[in-house]
Amino acid sequence: MVALVLVLTFVVLLLGILVAGLLRSHADILKALHDLGAGVGDPSASGRDAHGHHGGVDPSPRAVHVPFTLGPPLPGERDSASAPTIAGVTPGGDALAITVSGHDTLTLIAFLSSGCSTCAGFWDALQRPQELGLPEGIRLLVVTKGPELESAAEVRSKAHERLEIIMSTDAWGDYEVPGSPFFVLVDGASARRIGEGVANHFNQVAELVRRAVVDVRPFGLGSRSKGFADGLDGPERETANDEELLAVGIHPGHRSLYPRSLADVFPSESPAPQEDDSEPWTAGSIGKVG
Amino acid sequence: MAMLRAHGLAATLPEGFEGRIFVRPHLEGEIAHPVAHFATFPLPQEVADFGGGAVTLMGPNDIFAVLFEYGPESVGKELFARQGMQRSLSAGDFRPTLLRRGLGGQSGTQWFFTEAGRPFTFYAVLGSHARRGVLVPRVNSLLAALSVSPPPLSPNSGAAPWN
Repeated sequence: MVALVLVLTFVVLLLGILVAGLLRSHADILKALHDLGAGVGDPSASGRDAHGHHGGVDPSPRAVHVPFTLGPPLPGERDSASAPTIAGVTPGGDALAITVSGHDTLTLIAFLSSGCSTCAGFWDALQRPQELGLPEGIRLLVVTKGPELESAAEVRSKAHERLEIIMSTDAWGDYEVPGSPFFVLVDGASARRIGEGVANHFNQVAELVRRAVVDVRPFGLGSRSKGFADGLDGPERETANDEELLAVGIHPGHRSLYPRSLADVFPSESPAPQEDDSEPWTAGSIGKVG
Repeated sequence: MAMLRAHGLAATLPEGFEGRIFVRPHLEGEIAHPVAHFATFPLPQEVADFGGGAVTLMGPNDIFAVLFEYGPESVGKELFARQGMQRSLSAGDFRPTLLRRGLGGQSGTQWFFTEAGRPFTFYAVLGSHARRGVLVPRVNSLLAALSVSPPPLSPNSGAAPWN
């Protein structure tokens, strides 16, 4: 019995030491966060400054909220509309800057890496640009990371004179690219991204670009909607769109709002998209933006 | 604003401009020198040194400009006697007759000069001569954004080449 009590006492003491160690470790972490200005609560409430001294005025930085992010920004956190100029170098060492806005061209930007296995199929497809199936007038631009993060020699081996390649790490940040391969379609007239996402095969990308062209071109890129052009979002843009539709006689229940088949949505020369088992523009994709 | 820098040339591109600074592959018996193209419209993949293949795509509000370097043997020649790039042009500097390829409605200007010990010509085309009052200030904003580095020392000097 005495031995059992001794053992239990020892175990309790051991656990107590462990708990005290954990609390101490936790306190150290909290203190480090406070020192970084990302602490929970206001450290000045304790009447101590950042070095633990008592004082009437707290010289330590005020605790602020610091977003804690792992990996690429989630869709809700992304500024998915902007389409800044892409500037960098070519695989051959020349300088190149492409402006994707300010004109009525649709630009498809393919963010690829030389090493990713999924990108290999896209690089192969890009060797035959005439077989890509992109609608006429689409500007295709391949963007890899800059020479500091990407092998220029590898990229050069995949380049040819009809393929425009920019090596620019900044562009990956500007367009919030979560990984490669990643595709962005920019409407130059509105200076906005109108589609983005991932795909397994280039024909999936081409199909989505064809759909975007059908969506955009009949109405003129610059006249899509006032709400779109004004950069409205959410309920404000919905209200603005409703007002525009009502102004041209399209009211709730109008038959044009209820197409019966894909042919109603993609009329004339554009064939209805083929069903495909795979899911293009899926993981992490927003599909259509803006 | 986007920054372009290669082959001893640099440009902080004004809003709406795109560009490239490149050296064409050397042909046998020829030495290629840097060329810079700037445009307010999508530049095709293949553009001739002075805009062939591009100027036909221009709209009335577009600008195309070239900074073209000549070989060092041109330094000191009468044609390149002007020291320094012209940084401010006037509407009167642009004339339809100065176009290398006379396209209706367009106008152009061309200047030869030496900057940083390197001989250049600057050639610019306006999409519409009638709109030169609006377009010339944009050309001037581009000119103000260009910079030229002195030529590299000879390879034997051990100095680092451009880029």
